[in-house]
Amino acid sequence: MDKLIFHIDVNSAFLSWEAVYRLHVLGEKGDLRDIPSAVAGDVKKRHGIILARSTPAKKFGVRTGDTISDARSLCPELVIVPPHYDLYETCSRAFVEILREYSPCVEQYSVDEAYCDMTGTVGLYGSAVVAANLMKDKIYKVLGFTVNIGISSNKLLAKMASDFKKPNMVHTLFPEEMEKKLWPLPVGDLFYVGHATKRKLKNLGIRTIGELARTDLDILRSHFKKYGELIYAFANGIDVSMVTDTVPANKGYGNSTVIAFDVDDARVAKMILLSLAETVCTRLRDDKVMATVVAVSIVDFEFNHASHQMTLISPTNVTNEIHRAACRLFDELWDGTPVRNLGIHTSKVVSDGFTRQLNLFDMNRYDKLARLDKLVDEVRDRYGDDSIKRAVFLNNRIYHMAGGIAPEKRKPNYKEGIK
Amino acid sequence: MYNMPVDVIATFNVQGKIKPNFIRLEDQSHALQTYKIESIMFSREEKYAGMQALFFCCNILRDGCLQMINIKYHVNTHQWVLVSDESDKGEYAKEGYNN
Repeated sequence: MDKLIFHIDVNSAFLSWEAVYRLHVLGEKGDLRDIPSAVAGDVKKRHGIILARSTPAKKFGVRTGDTISDARSLCPELVIVPPHYDLYETCSRAFVEILREYSPCVEQYSVDEAYCDMTGTVGLYGSAVVAANLMKDKIYKVLGFTVNIGISSNKLLAKMASDFKKPNMVHTLFPEEMEKKLWPLPVGDLFYVGHATKRKLKNLGIRTIGELARTDLDILRSHFKKYGELIYAFANGIDVSMVTDTVPANKGYGNSTVIAFDVDDARVAKMILLSLAETVCTRLRDDKVMATVVAVSIVDFEFNHASHQMTLISPTNVTNEIHRAACRLFDELWDGTPVRNLGIHTSKVVSDGFTRQLNLFDMNRYDKLARLDKLVDEVRDRYGDDSIKRAVFLNNRIYHMAGGIAPEKRKPNYKEGIK
Repeated sequence: MYNMPVDVIATFNVQGKIKPNFIRLEDQSHALQTYKIESIMFSREEKYAGMQALFFCCNILRDGCLQMINIKYHVNTHQWVLVSDESDKGEYAKEGYNN
């Protein structure tokens, strides 16, 4: 039987969710979706970029990823609201729950996108387009926000189709429609083709997806190696990946943070590394895994990236051990330029039951520290993340568990309404 | 105008059905007044933004006059709010949600 795949994408997700919340839960009069508006971070904390914008704001040329000042100069009356990640998680969960009512196999691809395998549902809901409209309207009626649904016979084409015209639309893109609907599009619209590839392809004289699809595969191979084969296949609408509802295990765990000030003191940087290690290791322990490789990444005040990694003698998820490794890496890597962003990434993950390589020089501290970490995790689980912290973070403007979503971004302060 | 949090006395029956009985509102002189909920016209479950709520359209007796009000119970926060939007009534009544 031919496969039937849906890709469902929430239209300007963060903004739509914020709008629905304000309209139906807070009871505000105005709808953020009807005015030029955007969800954006806090400029003072250097999180000042646009995370999502409304369709009216799009008409002013405001794009996701612009800085707030750029967006304001494009559209002076832009209404900017802070992010609200707790809400987004609730909305995302409710969204996937509805999809599961329609399909036995739902793969959540990101917070606001999912694939559904709808193969063999014709007898239940009628044709694909009818089923998609049913799902789209149900989501709008129950949850109050709009989605785009792309229909095809594989994941790639379904994803491309859901991107066509927004909002609140259903599009099909079956292989026989490719020539008309997909190939005239600029090559930058293709999934997996970013700015760098787009530039390289332009130098080869390839501007549209159709031109890429008709390019000799050997030419692409010589310029892009294996990746060339992938984008060639994508341009021809070939994608063999399946919709899977089981989440693959994490290959690595990492967190990074943009610091509100430029760091030029190694002591402060190491304190931030400690707060990152705290977050990363809590996640490792949560999933009952240990990491063997630790990497530290630095972005300096001029946006230059650098990173450095090392393999540990034995896998670990002890905060102190990861922190010690991170500090060593930082000392080797840092040249003294002011730092804007720090990150710790761990990889080569093994399960917690892994037998540990004994180390003569560790002075039996490992067991003690592991027990301590476990206790701290339990306390935090019960009484909240801030209930227990290392003394170094007391009366310190550095938050003791950096990375991920900061607590103030989870629940904003709703004192001012929109006009 | 926002939805306004209000005090409500409600009964919860063995089937888990919730019925608001009394509501306490502020009058013009900012004094709290308790009103009996005379009848519930209709109620329905809402899940806007993934947040579960029960919506009640009910009548209270105020100054010898029946007045229709909309209240909502937020399941997550256990909060009752007076719904500010007047236009809601017509729309829901038209769709005919009855309980």
